[in-house]
Amino acid sequence: MNGQPLANALSIRRASVPGRLRPVSLDVAPGRLVGLVGPNGSGKSTLLSVAAGLLPTAGEVRWAGRPLADIAVPERARQLAWVPQEARWEFGFTVRAVVQQGRYAHGDDEAGVDAALERFDLGALARRPVTELSGGERQRVLLARALATAAPIQLWDEPLAPLDPRHGLQVLGLARELTRAGGTVILSLHDLGVARGLDEVLVLADGELKAAGAPAEVLTPARLLEVFGVRASTGPGLILELP
Amino acid sequence: MTATGREATHAGRRGLLPLLGLLVVILAGLSLAFGEVAMGPARLWAGLTGADEMASIVLWQIRLPRVIVALLVGAALSTGGLVMQAYFRNSLASPDLLGVSSGAAAGAVVAISAGWTVVALWVLPLAAAAGAAVATLGVLALARRGASGERLLLAGVALNALLGAVTSYVLSTGVVLYERNAQLLFWLLGGLEDRTWLHVWAALPIVAALALVWPLGRRMDLLSLGEREASSLGVEVRGLRRRMLVLATVLAATATAVAGIVGFVGLVVPHGLRLVAGPEHRRLTPLCILGGAAFVLACDLAGRVAGGLRLGIVTALIGGPFFLWLLRRRT
Repeated sequence: MNGQPLANALSIRRASVPGRLRPVSLDVAPGRLVGLVGPNGSGKSTLLSVAAGLLPTAGEVRWAGRPLADIAVPERARQLAWVPQEARWEFGFTVRAVVQQGRYAHGDDEAGVDAALERFDLGALARRPVTELSGGERQRVLLARALATAAPIQLWDEPLAPLDPRHGLQVLGLARELTRAGGTVILSLHDLGVARGLDEVLVLADGELKAAGAPAEVLTPARLLEVFGVRASTGPGLILELP
Repeated sequence: MTATGREATHAGRRGLLPLLGLLVVILAGLSLAFGEVAMGPARLWAGLTGADEMASIVLWQIRLPRVIVALLVGAALSTGGLVMQAYFRNSLASPDLLGVSSGAAAGAVVAISAGWTVVALWVLPLAAAAGAAVATLGVLALARRGASGERLLLAGVALNALLGAVTSYVLSTGVVLYERNAQLLFWLLGGLEDRTWLHVWAALPIVAALALVWPLGRRMDLLSLGEREASSLGVEVRGLRRRMLVLATVLAATATAVAGIVGFVGLVVPHGLRLVAGPEHRRLTPLCILGGAAFVLACDLAGRVAGGLRLGIVTALIGGPFFLWLLRRRT
């Protein structure tokens, strides 16, 4: 690599969206599992959409060192997968068909589709119309589709919110697995306890990036009080893990 | 529905296309045979080949153009509905409910009353297309993509009322112009009476537009599940949307230009086929072309058998209750 440092997986310079996001700059190195936290309406979804290149923005967004403007739409889909907070689906495509859409930019093949379905326990639901699914099941379909894209950068908007504890842990396990293999995962979440276990945390409030860095440095009691209006203390809580 | 029931429908899908094709052929045959001069298969053949001169005139000058226009109008309206539903991500969207057909009719009415249609044959379809385009822009302004079904339908109600007012104004400005008003009423009620080969030629843009819909099918699948999602999965959304809008407008406008406002075809046919064949657009497009053609042929035939009910009335009699049933099912 000519001794040069590896390009950041994601790099944002003074990106802003009027009324929703003040100019924000941040860098995420490859192989990192990053949490994005902030109160409701703080701009988490907006920031993720901007990072995914789905919202017009001032400033600059780079993926793996390349300006977004230089990357054609189909190639973008192979580089980065974005999972929306919720899906409003009008038409009854089957679960498998929706997951397979993740392969659209790969010549619409079937590679990894069945594995992605199995990964999220969707094998038995594969032929069901997505319109008949529960919120948690829909979320798993979206995540399975993102996994099927095999994109090295994964942006997930509140993937844990509608999931039961077991599937939530599976998602975190998958995120860890992807980052260990060199991928980059940024996910927004509300569970600060979970956020504490991630590699990095970004804190948003009122459309402004308040802090970014290691969880222990970022999620201090003083900042939690300032940003969320809650008093934080640690103690023996309920600890869940996969058997 | 149970898993086994669903798989049974999957298996039954494959035969649907040839089945609809056969239905179109049978209905076209019946349409040709039925009329003031009823014809059996032998006379029909003799007429088509020119062996029977009298039958030949009836078939070639009167019934064949009507059947072809019916085929094209049905295919155009149902496929136009399919494209609009994918565009708006709303299965209640269709050219007539959103006011696009009313726009086309208003354009046609204005052109007729201004006397422009005397100038050239292409003025009427062009005026209809302009009216449809204005209505499409109106819908886009009133209801953003992905808007709720209610919002979209309300936008359609508003546009239909507005464009209806234009048409009513033209009608009321010359109540004594009976001949002109009869011509105008034709657009408002929709029908296939007295269609000639000129109307067939005027309807030919439909063929081109239909041929361009199928290649968009896969991208329409992705778009119909969400605009940003489609974009993030690699679809060039902006260009796709523009093409869909142009195709849907051309289909609805041309159909309305040659047959007037024929309601509910764009709603009933794609919806019914989606229930049977699933939501994939590459599969639905040919089914909608044949299904729409069969539906309009059947409605036209039914109206003639019933003693001259106009096409627009028959489709509304069938489509209205269907639409109400859909609304009930959604809530």
